[in-house]
Amino acid sequence: MKTYFNPRTLLTLLAASIIIACSSDDNGGETPQPKSDYKGELTNTANNVITETYKTLNDRALALQAAVNDFTIGDDADFETVKTAWREARSPWEQSEGFLYGPVDTEGIDPAIDSWPVDVNAIDALLASSEPITATLLATNDDARGFHTIEYFIWGLDGFKKSGDLTEREVEYLKAATADFQSKTQQLYDGWKASGGNYAANFINAGENGSLYTSQVLALTELVDGMITIADEVGNGKIEDPLNGNGGNAKPEAEESRFSHNSKKDFADNIRSIQNVYLGDYAAVSGKGLTDVVTANNADLNTKIIDQIADAITKIESIPGTFTNAIANNRNEVASAQTAVKTLQTTLESELKPLIQNLK
Amino acid sequence: MIRKLLYAIPIGILLISCQDDNETPPQPLDLTARLMAGGETTVHSATSIAFETPAPNMTAKNLALHLAGDAQFEAVFVTAPAEVNQGLGPIFNNKTCIECHPKDGRAAFPTGDINALSGFFLRTSVPGKDPHGGPVPTPGFGLQLQNQAIRNYEPELKFKVTYTDIVETLADGTKITLKKPNYSITDPYTTFPANAMLSPRIGPPVFGLGLLEAIPESVILSRQDIDDSDGDGISGKANYVWDPVAEKMAVGRFGWKANTATVLLQSAGAYKEDMGITNYVFPIEAGVDQSNGNDGLGDDPEIADSILDEVTLYCRTLGVPAPRNIDSPQVQKGAEIFETIGCAQCHVPQQTSGNFPGIPSISNQTFYPYTDMLLHDMGEGLADGRPDFLADGNEWKTRPLWGIGLTQLINGHTDFLHDGRAKNLTEAILWHGGEALKSKDSFKELSTADRESLLAFLNSL
Repeated sequence: MKTYFNPRTLLTLLAASIIIACSSDDNGGETPQPKSDYKGELTNTANNVITETYKTLNDRALALQAAVNDFTIGDDADFETVKTAWREARSPWEQSEGFLYGPVDTEGIDPAIDSWPVDVNAIDALLASSEPITATLLATNDDARGFHTIEYFIWGLDGFKKSGDLTEREVEYLKAATADFQSKTQQLYDGWKASGGNYAANFINAGENGSLYTSQVLALTELVDGMITIADEVGNGKIEDPLNGNGGNAKPEAEESRFSHNSKKDFADNIRSIQNVYLGDYAAVSGKGLTDVVTANNADLNTKIIDQIADAITKIESIPGTFTNAIANNRNEVASAQTAVKTLQTTLESELKPLIQNLK
Repeated sequence: MIRKLLYAIPIGILLISCQDDNETPPQPLDLTARLMAGGETTVHSATSIAFETPAPNMTAKNLALHLAGDAQFEAVFVTAPAEVNQGLGPIFNNKTCIECHPKDGRAAFPTGDINALSGFFLRTSVPGKDPHGGPVPTPGFGLQLQNQAIRNYEPELKFKVTYTDIVETLADGTKITLKKPNYSITDPYTTFPANAMLSPRIGPPVFGLGLLEAIPESVILSRQDIDDSDGDGISGKANYVWDPVAEKMAVGRFGWKANTATVLLQSAGAYKEDMGITNYVFPIEAGVDQSNGNDGLGDDPEIADSILDEVTLYCRTLGVPAPRNIDSPQVQKGAEIFETIGCAQCHVPQQTSGNFPGIPSISNQTFYPYTDMLLHDMGEGLADGRPDFLADGNEWKTRPLWGIGLTQLINGHTDFLHDGRAKNLTEAILWHGGEALKSKDSFKELSTADRESLLAFLNSL
């Protein structure tokens, strides 16, 4: 019995210390209490992780649009460039799903960019019509725009589309779809950056007048809730539905990025989104983040979270072959990855969130 | 567990030990009990997920159904035939529950194009009553106007809005310009009857609905004062509406005019009318007899019975966010003003639920929705002139106010009232008329500080 907490002793000690902290001085005012300041963590996370992720997304959306505009039907190299550009753009988007609050939600950008499933009938009917296909027209139908519509055109339903398979009309659609897509990524980046909508200021100035967050702790809690939300989505949605959605058996049609076979990358990038927010690191920048707050309060928990994030990414990436194949033929490996994600989610919910919520 | 306890204790002590005895606000209302806004379903969250969090007191079985319903609430429907989520339309207003109830909250009035996909639509009917006393569908258009259609089908029509300015002046000289919307229709697929009435709607938050459904009918009826026999200027009338599942008349609880008896009917109606998704309650497409409304696929109902049940349970069991800052003197003063100028006569703070079969988490709870669940004459300014069962053209159901202070954070706007015409809380109050005119006039007479206290209270909810 080396360590023993007697709650009553604890209570007495705490009460005593708080009575001291609240005692009035001679002038009737309260003695200032030392208050922790998390502005550094919030500023770095908002500017260098969140806003920068959206900047990368927008840069790569521009690259995707350029690749589509340069595409010549039948040119395999061009087609590979387009496919690579789609994957490159997909990665920062998935790395942004750990923070699905703010303009991405309130301005309807998420459904415009990432609506799923694709409405194949709507797309085919538009292709068959004589109507000019423009970005403005596509903006009226979320199910026929964005990542998965573009994915459908460049991989096809079976994932084996060839550069010569595309028609002029499909290329017209692709050009409109990538232009529309880039306009939304621009809107998203502009919504956060200081010279635009400056949503980042809500985090940087949390607890001050003008911020949506009435305290820094609330803003930090928003970061944690965003991490939990995507861990839940990956574990209980994105992996669960294709793995077990058919009465405990595989349901291949429930896989989100199945045309491109990009799902494993999607899931790993979702967990990286958690990692980036937690560490306050993105690309070349390594700044203050939740990890610094946690380390100061509970170094063991910090290690645990970092390890569980790494484990989840490793297990997702070590699923053999494509996710489409694995849900039928390597179910144990998929389940193992799912367990790692759920374990991380539990830690975030039951250990990280209470610690953050109860910060002073 | 010890660590959790360790963090929980100082908060409690702080609340007690740091009260400042020298500056006791005048007539502060003790709001301690109201912290549990949803009783045991209360969630202590004030971030973007505060409306979409499951009630923390659910059974494991119900939580599993809730989570299944959560996924279905976000399902996006597409043109049939398709492998996943088929059956959209042929005519519809939106494609997924979550777009009209974003983050389970409130839809914004569409900025720019009123016909863009949004949480806004128009109801319609022609004069008269149907066999159950309900509104008579507009021939060729039904009771709800669908301004969207799948490719190669024609929407019923398009919406149009113009505005008339109304200027209100507060006692401190502040001038507020309200924009009164005037709705009309364009481009009907067939002749739109000249006598058809229109009434606008915006998607409201969906948390806490189970608690409201579990209020005993007798409790709602006990607050009625149809002829204002107590002479306080406030009547209050329950709507009585047709429940096609129970096949009987029942107290209306949901919808802006309380024209729907249960969350099941509300959900089933939204699937059918908002998205064109047939289900076991409403297995026939909204426009089945119209040239633009029948997909001819014979695939009804388009969703499994279990999906409707999961979504219904989901909406019944979302947690209610706790208020914030209830120990702030300004908030407490605002709560007192809320009582003294009469807001609380209709926005009744406390309600109690009875037993709700199958969902113990919402049964026998004391909670704080700030609604009496009754219809009130709200004056000409808000009137839609379209009766709906017992609700006349001037009457609307008292809206719950819980969670209203989180709208800006969660939904990025503060478009309030049945069509989002009020752009903030002050405007929403100024739109009140009819039975609420006296309270509105009292609000206008408040000092700037008292007005800010009242708003601080509302924003604490």
